[in-house]
Amino acid sequence: MPLSSGEIESIKRILGRDPRPEELAMFEAQWSEHCSYKSSRKLLKLLPTKNDYVILGPGRDAPAVEVFPGISVVFKIESHNHPSAVDPYNGAATGIGGIVRDILTLGAKPIALLDLLYLGNPSNSHANWLIRGIVKGISDYGNRIGVPTVAGDTWFDDIFNKQPLVNVACVGIASNNKLVLEGPKPGDAIVIIGNATGRDGILGSSFASKPLSEDTDKEIGAVQVGDPLTEKVLIDVLQELTSKSLVKYIKDLGGGGLTTAVSESAADYGLGATIHLNKLHLREQLTPLEMLISESQERMLLAVEPKKLSEVINILNRYDLTYSIIGHFDDSGRVRVYYKGKLVADVPAKELARPQALRRDSRPPQEALKGLTPIVRLPKVDLGDAIVKLISSPNIASKRWIYEQYDHEVGIRTVIKPGHGDAAVLRILDDSRRGIAVKGDANPRYTSLDPFNGAANSVAECFRNLVSVNSTPLAIVDELNAGNPEKPEQFWYFEEMVKGIAWMSSELGLPVVGGKVSFYNEDEKGRQIKPTATIVGIGRVDDISKSTGLALNETNNYIAVVGITYPELGGSEYLYRVHGLELGEIPRPRPASEIRHAEFIKHLVSRGIAVSVHDVSIGGLVIAAIEMAIAGGLGIELHVDRIPTRGTERIDEVLFSETQARYIVEIKASRVTEFKELTREYGIESNVIGKVLSKEVIVITNGNEDITTLGLPDIANLYNNSLKKLMEW
Amino acid sequence: MHKVAIIKFPGTNCDEDVLWVTKYVVGLDANIVWYKDFSLNTWDAIIIPGGFSFGDWLRAGAIAARTRAIEELSKVLDYGIPVLGICNGFQVLVEAGLLPGALLPNESGKFICRWVRVKVERPRGPWLRLVNDGDVLDMPIAHAEGRYYVDEDTYNSLVVKSPLLRYVNGYNFNGSSYDIAGVATLDGLVLGLMPHPERASEDVMAPKGFKANGKVIFESLARSLKEGW
Repeated sequence: MPLSSGEIESIKRILGRDPRPEELAMFEAQWSEHCSYKSSRKLLKLLPTKNDYVILGPGRDAPAVEVFPGISVVFKIESHNHPSAVDPYNGAATGIGGIVRDILTLGAKPIALLDLLYLGNPSNSHANWLIRGIVKGISDYGNRIGVPTVAGDTWFDDIFNKQPLVNVACVGIASNNKLVLEGPKPGDAIVIIGNATGRDGILGSSFASKPLSEDTDKEIGAVQVGDPLTEKVLIDVLQELTSKSLVKYIKDLGGGGLTTAVSESAADYGLGATIHLNKLHLREQLTPLEMLISESQERMLLAVEPKKLSEVINILNRYDLTYSIIGHFDDSGRVRVYYKGKLVADVPAKELARPQALRRDSRPPQEALKGLTPIVRLPKVDLGDAIVKLISSPNIASKRWIYEQYDHEVGIRTVIKPGHGDAAVLRILDDSRRGIAVKGDANPRYTSLDPFNGAANSVAECFRNLVSVNSTPLAIVDELNAGNPEKPEQFWYFEEMVKGIAWMSSELGLPVVGGKVSFYNEDEKGRQIKPTATIVGIGRVDDISKSTGLALNETNNYIAVVGITYPELGGSEYLYRVHGLELGEIPRPRPASEIRHAEFIKHLVSRGIAVSVHDVSIGGLVIAAIEMAIAGGLGIELHVDRIPTRGTERIDEVLFSETQARYIVEIKASRVTEFKELTREYGIESNVIGKVLSKEVIVITNGNEDITTLGLPDIANLYNNSLKKLMEW
Repeated sequence: MHKVAIIKFPGTNCDEDVLWVTKYVVGLDANIVWYKDFSLNTWDAIIIPGGFSFGDWLRAGAIAARTRAIEELSKVLDYGIPVLGICNGFQVLVEAGLLPGALLPNESGKFICRWVRVKVERPRGPWLRLVNDGDVLDMPIAHAEGRYYVDEDTYNSLVVKSPLLRYVNGYNFNGSSYDIAGVATLDGLVLGLMPHPERASEDVMAPKGFKANGKVIFESLARSLKEGW
């Protein structure tokens, strides 16, 4: 958003004079919502961020969490919503580039990417073009830099036809003693490495901090262009520099470009900086102002001690990575910018880096009542047809059309691969069997109906997904995609989502170690698109060979459900796909059950009683069970009357309710008695509800009544190919 | 100890994976060698790993094939040093003229990452020493330009007389002619293949329904370097 008149007044006060054009541009870039978090900062303080294994919480480019003694995971999420709406290929690609560089700033090695995409209806031609571009952008960029894209989340909804949400996350790993946690000191050289600066992404962060204009083609100059080859060389060079402890501080030149990188690094350490723009390596002739705010990609700032400078330069030359030494940090507390000897900007670093936080008004809008609308007189439908509709829904069907375009194996760490489990499992790749699990989740429908409970449910679902693969959830990062913070009825959703995340993450003991906020996700008419809280979590895996996938393993094993099913069809995929309704009270978050059930699952798996695990999420219990059957290529029979329920009156409520804190587990045939004993011992509402068959069919009965029988190959075909069919026409 | 060179170009991204397998899984002495530092005379075997050398500019492998390192490599046939090109490494060997044919963009126009099955014909030479004729190996592919093309004459006169890897029916996802996944010189000294054996060298890496069969290629090399081939 361009600076407000009030902001211009405060800039004048800070400087004690009228700002120069360069200075004004620096303030505009840095005080943009994207860089400054001015509207969100007060609320984000509600999030729990600490725990004894959190080495570094929010504040730097990425946080660090110790997963095993001496080994840390660095992970972060980011959105590239606005650029992807204008230029889907470059917008999504540079999203990957940016998030990877955030991980590099702590000296970590990037080992996994996740893409969390909230996309339009594939049958809409504009949305289809955006989806193809976004996926190809991620594919081309991620594959080329050699970081596997191992997991994600995808949602399709007409509301995202013109303004998709493109959230990407990166996970890195480092020995604690190689983490770059020191800061710059006065006298350290400021070295800019990587791509030459050009006229792309001019004021991109400012562009991302206002609604999209009606004619998005005019904003193409604000979109950055990616160069994955340079990014890959940056990764290699930084691995070498950090392994030799040659740099003290690394910062990405992302949103806000050089201005943000220099002012934040100076402000964070109480320093100042002097830079000479004429030393910056350029792609084309630029004015000093353009150099300050260009968001050209694949550039990073290093703080290097003068005595180590020559060794650093030798390494940069060896990799043919271009660089320029543009100045140094000092103790002045001011950012002084020179161009050909002439002072073009002289601003206090702290005031530039941290504008006043704003208190935004918030008010629930009329439409929030949709989340309270009771569901009455739902017509009876054929349950077999309903299952077919749900299994073919792009929100449920296999995402292989997407993930097969991603190299998810490079790095030889991906033990549980896309489609094989509720979360990805990666090995550490040392001489142990240790690993980590990662997954990301959101449900735009839930958060648009009830932002507080919807966001809480995203945290809970992420937690369950990590539990399903037999990991111990450790921490999360969040991306809050919201509307216009200047409109109280849109800001309300943001506020409620933050509170929902804060509540659930405290309950589950998951610190929110970092995150990002994306505002101004409105359509061209000023309506907010579905506010979406995306959660990415990591878990510790003590033994990767004991990770559990979701595929059924063996005929005659039993299928059991863990957790009670309540009549909670509000906001469900069933209600939308089968009845065309998007309303009602969404499933209640149940943190206490989440914790108890997670412990129970862990126990079942570690004792070898449960051999596959799948959490129940959209589509409900029957869809979860069918997904396990498809993955394993084995038929199942399910007895609806054996499902533990409370308050349900109809079979569709039992089958398709999206009640939280539930799992489906495959119990070894020989261990079913033990399972039942443990259920009693733990006091868990759980029951055996069916069996794995030798025949390739899905049989669902209710007492003596046959509800439906479906051929597994047909259902598997729908599940595997529906998205492809929707995309390729 | 025999020494294996893993050549790294800007954009190579499977070098560390190949190093892990050659060194820690199979127990060979291996080093990643930056392409500018590469010279032929110090190595007993050479692997060009996968990735996007020089960002796949022009065509996959085209620029790497014209570096001094790869020009040097054309002497291997005289020196008898085994050379393996995996994925982008295969593309480099084809671009350099060390192996016949060409690798074109996948028929679907998209990058494909999936596990496949390939059948080995006429196994010979250092890389396939422990493989039997007709053995089926499971490995993953991950490429955008892996559709092998060869003209009929070359196919009949050369390719079918040399060791060959063919996608098993139903696994030719990129549209390769004659289902070809990998080709070699007549004596099998130089082998290039699109699937990634290094990603299929430990049991824990194989997804349900597949076996990690790529290890045999590295084990063959280890045995060959010790005992000849």
